Amino acid sequence: MRGLRRYAPPLIWLLVLVLTAVYLSRLEPLFAWLEPDRQTVVYPRQSFVALLLQHAAIVAVAAALAIALGVGAAIGVTRRAGEEFLPLVSQLASIGQTFPPVAVLALSVPALGYGAEAVVVALVLYGLLPIVRNTLAGLQAVDRGVLESARGIGLSPWQTLLWVELPIAAPAIMGGIRTSVTINIATAAIGSTIGANTLGNPIISGIVNGNMAFTLQGAVLIGLMAVTVDSAFSRIA
Amino acid sequence: MRPDAGTPMIELDNVSKSFGDAVAVDGISLNVPAGSLCVLVGTSGCGKSTTLRMINRLIEHTGGEIRIDGHQIRRFNEVTLRRRIGYAIQNTGLFPHWTVARNIGVVPRLLKWDKARTRERVESLMALLGLDVEAFAGKYPHQLSGGQAQRVGVARALAADPDILLMDEPFGALDPITRSSLQAELLRIQSRIRKTIVFVTHDMDEALRLADQIVVMQAGRIIQQGTPSEILAHPSDDFVETLVGGRDRGLKRASLTPVGEMMESLPDDGRVPAVHVLQTDSMRLAVSLMLWHGVSQLAVVDDTGETVGMLPLRRLVDDFGE
Repeated sequence: MRGLRRYAPPLIWLLVLVLTAVYLSRLEPLFAWLEPDRQTVVYPRQSFVALLLQHAAIVAVAAALAIALGVGAAIGVTRRAGEEFLPLVSQLASIGQTFPPVAVLALSVPALGYGAEAVVVALVLYGLLPIVRNTLAGLQAVDRGVLESARGIGLSPWQTLLWVELPIAAPAIMGGIRTSVTINIATAAIGSTIGANTLGNPIISGIVNGNMAFTLQGAVLIGLMAVTVDSAFSRIA
Repeated sequence: MRPDAGTPMIELDNVSKSFGDAVAVDGISLNVPAGSLCVLVGTSGCGKSTTLRMINRLIEHTGGEIRIDGHQIRRFNEVTLRRRIGYAIQNTGLFPHWTVARNIGVVPRLLKWDKARTRERVESLMALLGLDVEAFAGKYPHQLSGGQAQRVGVARALAADPDILLMDEPFGALDPITRSSLQAELLRIQSRIRKTIVFVTHDMDEALRLADQIVVMQAGRIIQQGTPSEILAHPSDDFVETLVGGRDRGLKRASLTPVGEMMESLPDDGRVPAVHVLQTDSMRLAVSLMLWHGVSQLAVVDDTGETVGMLPLRRLVDDFGE
């Protein structure tokens, strides 16, 4: 019961998101009122459910890669063997944050061409930074005395990492992942400009054709998805 | 001091440690007999902590040999070695995200003891250290006072029943009253479990109170070692004399000497002085009582309250000094 109550907000948001994606086209009269001069007021090319799933898949793959790379890099440079790279990585992480996501996206097209792969790469690069920065901060904040005693009582380096450092740094790491994923849900929409199918499709199409209804449909779903995921993270972390 | 103190459990043979050009520990030799409590004492940066940490290989020695139970410590896997040696430090180093019980049980868990045995051990250690199992087992370190946290730290160090216990200023961050009660606790526990303990402190009073053997260090070298009363009676140089309190050391020595060692038999006329002192109390306390009550002699009683002798002021003047 308590578990259900704890996870109720994200579950409710998820329900709202799914229902909206399934039944958005039923709101045709509303959109017709918004764009009275148009014949088509509901984005026609793909179903919203299909777009939502593809959008979510791109974000999920990018997040998984960013978490693996970001947490891995931060762990690596805080070990004795990798400490030479610590200044480099931590500087990259702070500089990289100042890059606008569109720029990252634009840069990955020449490298990978059009399509979902280029979007995933751009999202991974952009999503890495908050994860690296937070994981570094979390690991570096672990009390020296705790690490000293962990070694002193006979934990192996692996056990120290898994039993002590990561659990203590977990809230900070989760915070980084949360920021990363939430930003990338929004950023993924721009992927539509380089040929990936995402919830950005209706938005871009709406902008190009001057059809506010399309833009609104994409924006509402992306907004709901971001709120759902953020709400889920707020329960875990 | 302790007759059963036999073969050395820990031997340091001309051990050195240098960090680059800087020499932290310079050719020290030291034997710690099994079951004895050896205190390394000195000012900050004298190499006492480095010496301690070389014993469980948190720091590798660069010269000489360290042996435990006759075996060179370099022969052991360092992680295996550390699991066999208890380790307690000043700020406890308890894992903040684990409960007290889990913190204490960590080394047994590393050694793959089964759950029931670990739990039994944790509970008996909590009892040994005066921590109520019901009240404390489920608490987290931030919910404990400094003294309680340090008790948990000591319990964790003892969890896998190691022969050796290394303690690096374990009571250094505590207020004087808590520190004093934990010192008493350590002595009480040590009299039961008889571990080989190496204890680091900068506090000579703590060293005098706890040690079987005191090792005074300065600038990476041992400048004197001996029992507390030897160090007090014959400090080898001005530095040691300053450490043991200079002209205050008469009282320090008095605080180490039990009244029972100095008392005389009762006079034939059977007159018993009005103010009494326990024969296990220190001479320091006896002097304090004389000063407070304005008397020149005390009756000495045993635990049961039976008068067993007397202590005249003249004994202090005639026989206590050097």
